[in-house]
Amino acid sequence: MSEFDAIVIGAGPAGASAAIRLASSKKNVLLVEKSDPPGSKNVSGGVLWGNGLSTIIPDWEKSAPVERFVDTKSVAFLTQDSKIAIDFSSRKLQQKKTGYTVLRAKLDQWLARKAKEAGAMVINGVTVEKLHMENGKVTGVEQGGDVITSDAVILCEGANPRVAIDSGLHKRLSDNDVALGVKEVFHLPENTINERFHLKSGAGFACEYVLGYLQNGVEAGGFLYTNKDSISVGIVVSMSHLRENNSTHSYDLIESFTSHPYIAPLLEGGDMQEYSAHIVQEGGIGSMPKLYGNGYMIAGDSAGFSFSNGLVLQGMNYAIDSGILAADTFIAASDGKDYSENSLKSYQDRLEASYVMKDMRTFKGIENVTWSPFVHKKIPAMLESLMLNLFMEEGKPKRHMTGMLLDAMSENDMLKTSSIMEAYRMMRRM
Amino acid sequence: MKIEDRLSVLNYKTDKSYAHITIKPDICETCPDHFCTFACPANCYTLIEGKLNFKYEDCVECGTCDLACAHGSVTWTNTKGAHGIKYKFG
Ligand SMILES: Cc1cc2nc3c(=O)[nH]c(=O)nc-3n(C[C@H](O)[C@H](O)[C@H](O)COP(=O)(O)OP(=O)(O)OC[C@H]3O[C@@H](n4cnc5c(N)ncnc54)[C@H](O)[C@@H]3O)c2cc1C
Ligand code: SF4
Ligand code: SF4
Repeated sequence: MSEFDAIVIGAGPAGASAAIRLASSKKNVLLVEKSDPPGSKNVSGGVLWGNGLSTIIPDWEKSAPVERFVDTKSVAFLTQDSKIAIDFSSRKLQQKKTGYTVLRAKLDQWLARKAKEAGAMVINGVTVEKLHMENGKVTGVEQGGDVITSDAVILCEGANPRVAIDSGLHKRLSDNDVALGVKEVFHLPENTINERFHLKSGAGFACEYVLGYLQNGVEAGGFLYTNKDSISVGIVVSMSHLRENNSTHSYDLIESFTSHPYIAPLLEGGDMQEYSAHIVQEGGIGSMPKLYGNGYMIAGDSAGFSFSNGLVLQGMNYAIDSGILAADTFIAASDGKDYSENSLKSYQDRLEASYVMKDMRTFKGIENVTWSPFVHKKIPAMLESLMLNLFMEEGKPKRHMTGMLLDAMSENDMLKTSSIMEAYRMMRRM
Repeated sequence: MKIEDRLSVLNYKTDKSYAHITIKPDICETCPDHFCTFACPANCYTLIEGKLNFKYEDCVECGTCDLACAHGSVTWTNTKGAHGIKYKFG
């Protein structure tokens, strides 16, 4: 007899969601989290996209510690001297809220509390060291020589899944699997944020930036999100570009973002209250592990469910939905008390039928677009020349826009067949 | 802002009895790239008079150095018993 029906490793969005679903179905579930309080080691940009939580916590937005709903979503290219941005505000985003800014130390603590309220046993401050195996089947977890047994284990360790790696369920990570995120939180009064970003109370601004001006060809994206009375700002840098460069400190890149002439004024007067960093899963479908086996399933970042297409960075939403699907699989398997690989493989089917795996398939290879000199160097430079041609009045006759566009493209080497093919491939992948 | 100033706003519960990350100094001695010194966002890896110095106390547990070191010097484990970085916001 196992001590628990299921053990969930990690109380991030994936693990907490799985535990809430299991406990709500009267399963005897243990959620083990290494940080105390839960969330105090977790980092996210972070906009929580989608509404996956509503399936386990109806009306979750009313009680969750969300900061602001995303009312204006932007994408911007930064060069040394310029900013070229697309700003999208819509009354439709106000009516049907689809993105909320969150701070993980608060959100995760709340999620863990919801798991406890649903009936899960939650232990904080305990690091699972390894999986307990019997006859090739996962039958529990181990810590400091103690074994706790369960019918199945759901691994939700996040982007750096040590237990899964050490147990041979996940390969070791390499440059192509991850990027490095570095973030700062600046305190500013709520009113100042509302005025500075033209926001009504409760509404928020979220922008992703292509940083086309970084020295030595390092490729990084930036993000800036407004919270209630703070601003989250950070960069995500490609690990392989950082390595190729091998002369730029990761912490200097965030500095060159926050001190950019069009970013610094947004943070002006703000008090830097927290500096944080974490790796981000970026490898897409190519770096996913096998998602189930005898007595186990893997969800969230540990399963590789996270990606960015340059317009948004997503992961928390996939974590929540995959956690719920893993829990559903366990619940279905418990009818026949069969937690073998053969029985748990329906987790894969559930994922394939959901938007989680569909997105991963749709955006297969997107990392080659988001981390390419075409996006990080050529497009920003081309857009800058085009805008300057359009808007800088120098007392000379103007040309038609197509002429200017062709000029700007040719100046930046974008009319070559190879570049056109690159643009075509990029559009197809995005 | 200097990296030291950034780290100074952070809260840690330092585990004096357990270094969750360790290095093998003899491997670092012959390292051709010292990529860890550029990759680590918490400046835990520094070169002092040409020798690699590592301090786990400032680590924010980002997970980078384990894969950044391509020479097998780094042994990376999770912190134990709620030790390590404690974010207020995250
Ligand atoms: C800088 C940055 C910006 C991002 N921006 C966004 C964004 O804007 N929107 C978005 O949707 N996503 C964003 N992401 C991605 C998002 O953070 C992840 O996809 C998401 O956190 C994954 O959730 P998870 O539950 O799988 O893992 P995590 O949130 O990492 O949770 C894993 C949990 O497991 C615990 N744990 C790990 N190992 C053990 C163990 N052995 N024993 C006990 N506990 C353990 C950890 O402490 C942690 O609480 C961003 C990531 C970064 C780093
Ligand atoms: S930790 Fe690795 S990368 Fe850093 S100096 Fe040692 S061998 Fe080189
Ligand atoms: S885990 Fe991150 S912060 Fe800690 S030492 Fe390694 S690179 Fe530095």
